[in-house]
Amino acid sequence: MKVLIIEDEKELSKSICQYLSGEQFITETAYDFDSALEKISLYDYACIVLDITLPSGNGLNILKELKRNNKADGVIIISAKNSLDDKIYGLKAGADDYLTKPFHLPELGARVAAIIRRKSFEGNNTIVFDDLQIHLDAKQTFVNGKELDLTKKEYELLLYFISNKNKVISKSAIAEHLWGDNMDLANNYDFIYTHIKNLRKKLLQFGSPDYIRSVYGMGYKFSLPR
Amino acid sequence: MKLFTKYNRINVVSTVIIFLLGCGAFSILLRYVIISQVDEDLKIEKNEVVTYVHQFNHLPTVIEVRDQYTTYKPVEKPTSQNNKIFTNKVYDKAEHETELRRTIEFTVDVNNIWYLVSVSKSLEGADELIQTIIAITLTIISLILIVTFFINRFVLRRLWKPFYSTLQTMQQFSLNKTEKINFSNTDIDEFIYLNTTLNNALSKAQQDYQTLKEFTENASHELQTPLAVIQSKLDILIQNEKLSENESNAIQSAYNAVQGLSKLNHSLLLLAKIENKQFSEQTSINLKELLQTKINQFNELWKNRDIVTAINLSDKEITGNAYLIEILLNNLLSNATKHNIKNGTINILLNNTLQITNTGINYAIDEKQLYKRFSKQHNSSENHGLGLSVIQQICQVSGYNCTYNFQLPNLHTFSIAW
Repeated sequence: MKVLIIEDEKELSKSICQYLSGEQFITETAYDFDSALEKISLYDYACIVLDITLPSGNGLNILKELKRNNKADGVIIISAKNSLDDKIYGLKAGADDYLTKPFHLPELGARVAAIIRRKSFEGNNTIVFDDLQIHLDAKQTFVNGKELDLTKKEYELLLYFISNKNKVISKSAIAEHLWGDNMDLANNYDFIYTHIKNLRKKLLQFGSPDYIRSVYGMGYKFSLPR
Repeated sequence: MKLFTKYNRINVVSTVIIFLLGCGAFSILLRYVIISQVDEDLKIEKNEVVTYVHQFNHLPTVIEVRDQYTTYKPVEKPTSQNNKIFTNKVYDKAEHETELRRTIEFTVDVNNIWYLVSVSKSLEGADELIQTIIAITLTIISLILIVTFFINRFVLRRLWKPFYSTLQTMQQFSLNKTEKINFSNTDIDEFIYLNTTLNNALSKAQQDYQTLKEFTENASHELQTPLAVIQSKLDILIQNEKLSENESNAIQSAYNAVQGLSKLNHSLLLLAKIENKQFSEQTSINLKELLQTKINQFNELWKNRDIVTAINLSDKEITGNAYLIEILLNNLLSNATKHNIKNGTINILLNNTLQITNTGINYAIDEKQLYKRFSKQHNSSENHGLGLSVIQQICQVSGYNCTYNFQLPNLHTFSIAW
C-alpha cells in the first residue's frame, strides 16, 4: 500500500516516511506543489498525507484536483493551523481527516491506517492480528473466537496499538490519543498505566500471548512476542 | 466634585458677596441722600420761621403736620450754634415706640425774647423706604442668582455635553476591539481638538496592539512546524530499542519539554485567537450535560489520585461559544486536579453559577498575580501558568464573571457567573 507524503518541511517528511514505512506501507514524498500534482496524476495512493501550507501553492488545490479526477485516494491534512474553520473547510473540501501540528507519529499512523481501512475494506471491517479479531462496526474484540469484554478506553487502546504494531509508542502519545490534547495534565501519565495493565490482564486471561511490552518506562510496544 | 458644581459654587459665593456689599453701600448711600434731603427741608423750615418772625414779629402757629414736630422754648440768650442739625431718638407716645428724628435747632429773636426753635422730621418714612428698597433689591438678587444658577447649569451641561460623550466613548473603548472609535461631532474647537488627539492616540495604540497580536499568532503558527519536527524525531528515536537507560531518560526529558512547549504554544495561540475574536459563533449550550461529560472524563483521573468529589448539578442553559466553554470547563477542572493534594477533594456545584472548589496549598493565591500570564504560584515547572489567563480571557470576551475565593484551611474556589 502506497502512501504519499506532501510536506515541504523535509525533516518532518523524513520522520513520517521513516515511521510509516516498514511492513505496512510504502511511502513516497513530494516537497512542493508541482511535484505533488505530478505524482497524484501518475499514481494512485491508498492515502495521502497533505500539508496545506506549501510554499508554492495551496495544498487544498491538490485536494480539489484529486476530487476533480475522481481519485479515491484517502487524504489526511496536516496543518499548523488549528482553527475549527480550517478543519471544517478542509473536511468539506474532501479530506478524510485533519491533524494539527505538532502531532505524534503514532497518532498519524493510526489515522492513516483508519482511513485505509475505511477505503479498502468496506463491508468487511475486521482487523486480524495473530489470535485477535476486532469487528470495527460492532466494536467487538475476539480472542480465538471468544468475545473479550473491553471498556471503551481499553478498546481504543487496543485499536491504537494494533494500528501501530511493532512500534514503540510514547506515553504522551497514548495519553493524547485517549484523552485528547485539551486535558492539560502536566506530563503526568500514571493514569494510562491502569488501562494498559487491565487490557493486558484481560488478554492474558483469554489465553492470548503477551503482546504489550513496556519500553524503558518511556512507552509501550505492541508486537508478537519474540 | 463636578466641574460646574465647582464653577457654580464660586459663582454663587462671589455674586452673593458682591451683591451684599453693593446692598450695604447702596443703603448707606441712600440714607445719606435721604438725610441730606431732610436736612434741606429742615433748613427751608427754618427760613420760613425766621422770615415769618421778621415779617409779623411773632412766632408762627404750630400746625400739626404728619411726621413733623415744631416746638418753641424761650431761652435767655441765642445759642452759639445757630444751625445745629442732629439725629435723635424720641419716644412717640401716640405710637408707643421710639423713633428716629432729624432735628434742627436755632434761636430766633421775637420782641427781644429769644426763643429756641426746634423742628424735627421723623426718619421713620425714610427708614421704611430704605427697607423696602433693600427688600426689593434682595428679591431681585435672589431671583437673578436662581435664574443664573439654572441657566448656568443648563448651558454648562449643554456646553460640556461633547466632553461627556467623549468620556463615555472612551469608557467603552478597549484595545481588543477592532472597530474604529467614533466620537460624536461637536462644533467647539477645544472638544474637536480633544477628540482628534484622543482619536490619534487610540488608533495608534490599537494599531500597535493589533500588530502585536498578529505577531503572537504568527509566531505561534511558525513554531508549530519545528515543534512537529522535534516531536517526530523523538517518536523515531524511541523506536531504537537498543537505547541505554541514560539515553532513554534524556529522550523522556526532551519529550516532556516538547510537550510543555507545544501546550504553551497552543495556549498562546488560543489566547491570541480569543483576543482576535475568532470564536464569535454563539450557540445555546446545556451546561449540565457538558459538565457531566467532562466530569466523566476526569473521573478516572480523580480515582487514580484518590481525589474525592462532591458533585451537585442543576439544569442550566447558557448561550456562548461551544468551543470556548469546553476549554473553560477543561481548564477549570484541570486546574482543580493539577493543584490538588493527595487524598484531596473537589466540589462542583452548578446552579446559576458554577463553583469549583478544590483542596490545595494552605494559603490564598494573590489575586493580582492569579491571572497574570506566566505567573507561577508555586514551583511546578510543568505548569506554564497560562491556564487561568485562558479562563479569564474566555470570561472576559463572553461576559462572564470569574471570581476566586480562598477558605481556610486549604479550599480554593473559582466561581463563574454566567
